[in-house]
Amino acid sequence: MTGAERIVGGLESAGVTLAASVPDTWIGKLMTTVRASKAIRAVDVAREEEAVAVACGANLAGGRGAVLVQNAGLLNCGGILAGLVELYRIPCFFIVSLRGDARDPIYYHAPKGRVTETTLVAWRLPYALLDRAGDIAGQVKRGVESAIESRGPFVLLISGEDLA
Amino acid sequence: MTSRKPFLDALVAALAADDVVVSCLGANARWLPHMSVPVPVFALCDSMSAAVPLALGMALSRADRHVIALEGDGSLLMSPNVLATLAAARPSNLTVILWVNGHYESSGGQALPSAPVDWVALARASGIGRVTVVDEPGALAPALAAARGAEGPAVLVLPIAFDPAEEIPPYSERPEEIRARFRL
Repeated sequence: MTGAERIVGGLESAGVTLAASVPDTWIGKLMTTVRASKAIRAVDVAREEEAVAVACGANLAGGRGAVLVQNAGLLNCGGILAGLVELYRIPCFFIVSLRGDARDPIYYHAPKGRVTETTLVAWRLPYALLDRAGDIAGQVKRGVESAIESRGPFVLLISGEDLA
Repeated sequence: MTSRKPFLDALVAALAADDVVVSCLGANARWLPHMSVPVPVFALCDSMSAAVPLALGMALSRADRHVIALEGDGSLLMSPNVLATLAAARPSNLTVILWVNGHYESSGGQALPSAPVDWVALARASGIGRVTVVDEPGALAPALAAARGAEGPAVLVLPIAFDPAEEIPPYSERPEEIRARFRL
């Protein structure tokens, strides 16, 4: 079983019904696996703030939404995280590709990699780095449950190698 | 050109039991708590341009409800991409009502950038099949009824008069109250 399949298995076991996404190379691969799921509806959006609102709408309507975006997209989402997710206390689980860290071979992602975790801390967003040697599906499920329990955001950072 | 409140009165009168209303920030969100609205309302007080995708997430999750997103022209201008996203998702149970007055009413009445945006053309060019201009309150109920029967999402464009003297009530509900009361 690939890492992508384990991640989607974790989303399914957590009861996620909808995944809103703007792809990058890694998230696009993950979304290919999401689209094969019978339990999760894939929703393609044009900007990452939309993905947050779509996932929140699903959560408000009795479903369970998740957001799958690149870290550049997460950096776009400061306003809606404050003005929707935090203000109205809506669960919102993110899977975010951590571009630009030491594992990323593409040089131009490096500036985003340098600021992602510091931004998460500054925005006071609970987050975790996926441990590919551990129980991947379990980490995903715990992230979803953390968002639900806290009625707020939770971000799980992944790397391309986690999908293999 | 008609002012906002008669259109809002006509909308509330035209709501059906399975409707859900999502309002962008601003005058509509401030008026709705002061009206007898017979359906669930989720009113934003921040997050410009979030109303349409928020409604989309609800519509895709609850096929048994018709979700009506109230959006302003200034708010939509910030993220017109939401129209393309909506067209791609093609929910038949979502109607956008776009209130067009050319001003950022909730932030002091500043004018929008002066580009003459053709909202009908923009919605159609984004892939929305049913786009209707509703230019008087009496036409809103039949337009909404037609939108409910449409294949795919609909956009109703409401040109309204900008009235800087309109006495809009302040926000009277806290977000946590809105969130707690919102049940589908």
